[in-house]
Amino acid sequence: MAVFKDKNKLAWSLVTAGVLILPNILGEGYYLSVMNFIALYSIVAIGLCLLVGYGGQLSISHSAFFAIGAYASAIFCLRYGLHPLISIVLSQSITVPVAWGIGSVVLRLKGHYLAIATLSFTIIVGVLIKETAWLTGGLQGLGSIPSISLGNFLIDSDWRFYFIVWPLTMLLLLFALNLVDSRMGRIFRATRESEDIARLFGADVKMYKVKLFILSSVYASFAGSLYAHFVTFISPVTGSIMFAIDIIMVLAFGGFTMLWGAMLGAASLTFLNEYLTIFADYKRAIYGLALIVIMLFFPNGLLEGLKDSGRFLLQSARKVGRE
Amino acid sequence: MLSLSSVSKKFSGLKALSEVSFNVESGAIKGLIGPNGAGKTTLFNIITGVFPPSEGTVIFLGEDVGRERPDRIARLGISRTFQQAFLFKSLTVWENVMLGRHYRSKAEFFSCGLRFPWARREEKMIREQSLEYLDMFGLVDKKDRIAHELPMGEQRYLELARALATEPKLLILDEPTSGLNDNERAGFQDSVCRIRDMGIALLVIEHHMKFIMEVCDDIVVLNFGVKIAEGTPKEIQNSQKVIEAYLGTEEEIDY
Ligand SMILES: Nc1ncnc2c1ncn2[C@@H]1O[C@H](COP(=O)(O)OP(=O)(O)OP(=O)(O)O)[C@@H](O)[C@H]1O
Ligand SMILES: [Mg+2]
Repeated sequence: MAVFKDKNKLAWSLVTAGVLILPNILGEGYYLSVMNFIALYSIVAIGLCLLVGYGGQLSISHSAFFAIGAYASAIFCLRYGLHPLISIVLSQSITVPVAWGIGSVVLRLKGHYLAIATLSFTIIVGVLIKETAWLTGGLQGLGSIPSISLGNFLIDSDWRFYFIVWPLTMLLLLFALNLVDSRMGRIFRATRESEDIARLFGADVKMYKVKLFILSSVYASFAGSLYAHFVTFISPVTGSIMFAIDIIMVLAFGGFTMLWGAMLGAASLTFLNEYLTIFADYKRAIYGLALIVIMLFFPNGLLEGLKDSGRFLLQSARKVGRE
Repeated sequence: MLSLSSVSKKFSGLKALSEVSFNVESGAIKGLIGPNGAGKTTLFNIITGVFPPSEGTVIFLGEDVGRERPDRIARLGISRTFQQAFLFKSLTVWENVMLGRHYRSKAEFFSCGLRFPWARREEKMIREQSLEYLDMFGLVDKKDRIAHELPMGEQRYLELARALATEPKLLILDEPTSGLNDNERAGFQDSVCRIRDMGIALLVIEHHMKFIMEVCDDIVVLNFGVKIAEGTPKEIQNSQKVIEAYLGTEEEIDY
């Protein structure tokens, strides 16, 4: 495990360095903007990966928490005139009690029931957003959300946002990597296998699950808040069920139990999404097809699949070399 | 240290245990025997809080733990192994033992995620201490293996190491030597005595009579959920009731 940990740290340092150099290669423009969305997706996916992959709790509530983060932050800014940074922080303090309340009720359920209960929550949040037009702008959504500003410095371009969102993403990833390889990470993995036996080793499973649910929801809602101030426009589509399913697909792409896979999944799905826009309505069908193919050939996700293929190619090459 | 009085358990009509009472004294090894389906594992599940007794009380170190949650009971100092060896598949051998240190350590979400210096020190302690427990059973070399890849003998030791890592006051073992050959069982017997010498009380279910008779200070016999005898190995061997209970079962052969 010690070696594994170091490898993770090394990978993290390399990727972080790469991510910080990348804009100088890409330059300002389309790809930089795509990268920004990948970061936002990644934050949600990392949070969900902790809950689903390590905690074993399949939840379809992350688009709802993304929406809560986005709307709360926009409303604090627009209706109460608060500074965007303060709005972002305050929004999380709304997410925490909501996630706590929802989590302590729905986490009594398991498997399919949990998935359906969290899905219902997502639907309820969607309805509430549409119906409370006086607060949320209803179907029209909310526009002209102020960009984040640091003093006089306005984060209003792709370039500037990139250097806010990517360092944050990498820090949130580091937090998750640390968590997974710790006392708490071990108890989550044990809980996923058998709650009863984890309890016999002194784990207050109920409390741990709720706390993990809160943490995971805050990842989603934090990404939502950043999104609101970056795109400066949000609508009920922002937190739709389609988005919830997209995020689950991100994990399926990357492998449910791999934090790095979550990022790779976020990247692949975002690019797929971009390239498939030419197919308009067929986009989702192609998406689905790609997912089925990946599930068939790489049941442990893209990252594991790539690793395996790499190993296989290397071995074959060695064999050919020997002959 | 552990005292059961009139413990009964009903499973939808089936009476698995009726009014079982006995004590486990500190520093002693107590045996629990009985034919298949006698209710032995059920009793262990009640002691560890997996489910509550239908009637009766369980007192551990002066506290009534009969209706206490399993994680609280574990924290009071009871640890166990399982009839079907249970190791966590997604954890390595080493990590399985680290899990045993779980409630002996404190770092929570933020301290773990942010790797505060004290949490880092604690994690280092967990790793080192777990290694010592692995070392007790000669498992250090295999620490990075996936736990269920180990041969059954080593799985049994790993379960012991993990249970000991919780620093229990009472250790309960459910058929710890099933799946072991005679050689391995002899080795295991020494380990059990070593654990007793560490000052830990043990309660052991075993079907192998040689093991039970050599290791235990005294023995409780269950049959159809009823305690039919309690006494020293000698007394149990000569008890007419016990011999009758085992009559017609294959287990007698093990003497
Ligand atoms: N969770 C449960 N639900 C319903 N019945 C149960 C449950 N656990 C045990 N039983 C029943 O209680 C009785 C006692 O079972 P138990 O497992 O305690 O026996 P045992 O003495 O451990 O036997 P063995 O030597 O085969 O392990 C059996 O008839 C069993 O079917
Ligand atoms: Mg049993």
